[in-house]
Amino acid sequence: MKPVLGIAAYVLREAASRKFILAFLVGITLVLAVVALSLRIEVIDGALAATRLFGDVIPTSIRAVDVALRPVFKAAAFIVFYGGIVFGIVACSDFAPGLLSPGRIEHLLALPLRRWHLLAGTFLGVMTLALGGTVYGAGGLTLIFGVKTGYWTLGPLIAGVLACVGFAAVYAVMLTTATFVRSAALCAAAGGLFLVGGIIAGFRQQLSRFFEAGLGRNAFEAVTLLLPRLSALAMAAADLAASTPPQIRSLGLLLVGVFVFGLGALVVGFWRFEGKDY
Amino acid sequence: MENHRRRWIWVGLAALLFILAALLMFTGQGDDAAIAQEPSVEFPRRMRSQDRLRADQRRTFIMPVDAGTRAEGPPRPRDPVLAALPRGEGHTAVVIEANAVRNSPLGELLMDCLMRDGGKPLDEFRRVSGLDPLQDLDRIVITDEGLILSGNFAKARFKELLGERTSADYGQGARVYEPGAMSVPLADGGTMRGQMGSSVGTWNDQMMVVGRSSDSVKTVIDRMEGRGSDEPPAISENSTYGEMYGVLGVEQMAKILAADQPELAQRLRDVAQNVELHMDTRSDVALVAEIRGPDAEKVTDLGKSLGAALSVARLKAQAQDDKTLAQLMDFARVEPDGNSFKLEMAVPIDVIRERLAWCRQPPDTTDAGQ
Repeated sequence: MKPVLGIAAYVLREAASRKFILAFLVGITLVLAVVALSLRIEVIDGALAATRLFGDVIPTSIRAVDVALRPVFKAAAFIVFYGGIVFGIVACSDFAPGLLSPGRIEHLLALPLRRWHLLAGTFLGVMTLALGGTVYGAGGLTLIFGVKTGYWTLGPLIAGVLACVGFAAVYAVMLTTATFVRSAALCAAAGGLFLVGGIIAGFRQQLSRFFEAGLGRNAFEAVTLLLPRLSALAMAAADLAASTPPQIRSLGLLLVGVFVFGLGALVVGFWRFEGKDY
Repeated sequence: MENHRRRWIWVGLAALLFILAALLMFTGQGDDAAIAQEPSVEFPRRMRSQDRLRADQRRTFIMPVDAGTRAEGPPRPRDPVLAALPRGEGHTAVVIEANAVRNSPLGELLMDCLMRDGGKPLDEFRRVSGLDPLQDLDRIVITDEGLILSGNFAKARFKELLGERTSADYGQGARVYEPGAMSVPLADGGTMRGQMGSSVGTWNDQMMVVGRSSDSVKTVIDRMEGRGSDEPPAISENSTYGEMYGVLGVEQMAKILAADQPELAQRLRDVAQNVELHMDTRSDVALVAEIRGPDAEKVTDLGKSLGAALSVARLKAQAQDDKTLAQLMDFARVEPDGNSFKLEMAVPIDVIRERLAWCRQPPDTTDAGQ
């Protein structure tokens, strides 16, 4: 485990040195600061009575504050989920190709560690980064709305963790792609492809009706059966953020399923990496 | 060799993980038909096409030209029930679309309760009055002057029931019965006599008016036939949407609130001018109350107080683990709009079905629990 943690720390140091990642953190901070300073919320006996943004009254209905904030938290959860994954795809696409680049890979392979430790460490490092960013953003939002309204909920934070699990599945695919083709662009493309596939997979029941019964529909259902159901997870995350029951049978099973898919993709990377000559 | 074997282990493990992931995701997401959807309620906020059609079809009565109405162009047909309503501000007039409610999911549930003992009271009413309320009754209007019923009263036995009273024809097609005796024929051939303190008016076999005195009944008939005030009726045609609608005098509304919320009732008296109600029972039971007042600031403050009261009620329900009530209060909200605000509340039909489940059980098994 120690070598994996060592590689993860190495990845985190690498990320810290990148202006892109730092700019992202500064961006989140700025958004939170703007929300904190520009939003004025009047709460009377637990009811959201009035909202002002930049001094202008936002026409809203007067209702229980947690009910009134549901759309806000839902929107935030979707932004964190999809925005986080897209940002992660772009920002983290060259971590693995960089790690596997000539010169650096020989140095790493000379260290007393197994090959799969390298990939597992990279995966762990990137996921730590994603989790940190998500907790910072979602936690900040929860804190701001908690202080302003007196309504405290862990929903947005849990939704953020769900988004990280979704990203884990996508990043595992990107990491594995890097073991086949050492190209940041192709890694990002693979991540994007699986993101789109994951969105489609979440709506597979609804979409399969558009295929004629027979080979086409069966093929669609077979392919989407295996893909991580990211849109279903995103909607469950939004429901959790809004403190409403998720519209799925079991969030736990879905969550574990998406994560296990990520592990499966990562193991394919291990298989490829073990057999590759450098 | 060991590396080769390890690689095969990775392949096997990956395949196993993908299969496991597919199974977990398939089971976890589930079949969308099997998952309970979040309840959603449609509120009656404006006239819909079916409401407009209904209003158009009810414009059947052309007021006589010599009835004191100013002749401005060709006479337009009007809805006689709307014409009969009190005129001006501050009155109470609530219309219940009896036939529409009867044919709504709520009506079905209420019918289960009514017919639970085989519908004996209903049969008795049919026998005595000659009317079938499920077929012949269209609208019930409750006003601060009395009651107006509309529908098809051609088979009603007014003469048998009210024949002993002093009565006289009035206006065009109306007959007004003074307060007095009422005789009800019994099933065994006898007759039960009683006194009724209300005056009754009938109009063209389409309408029945019940009032405190014959003068109040005549006033209603005068309005209907165009001899009343020129002020607009308490409910305009544009407000005839929902299965129950109308206006409540502020005093009436305050009286309803006074028992539980005396301060709120007093503020309502001080701030509001009138309260317009609309209830929809086409799927769930949804209520919209529009409260108006002359002072926009005070009206907004009242809206905030009502919103806060609803929020506190919801928190109380949550604290007492009353999930049903808490779920109902989820839909409650106040929509401010200058010198008026709309208060929306809803009861999902499933909740009512659950509450009225005893109506669908045999009488002997549930009597103790009612």
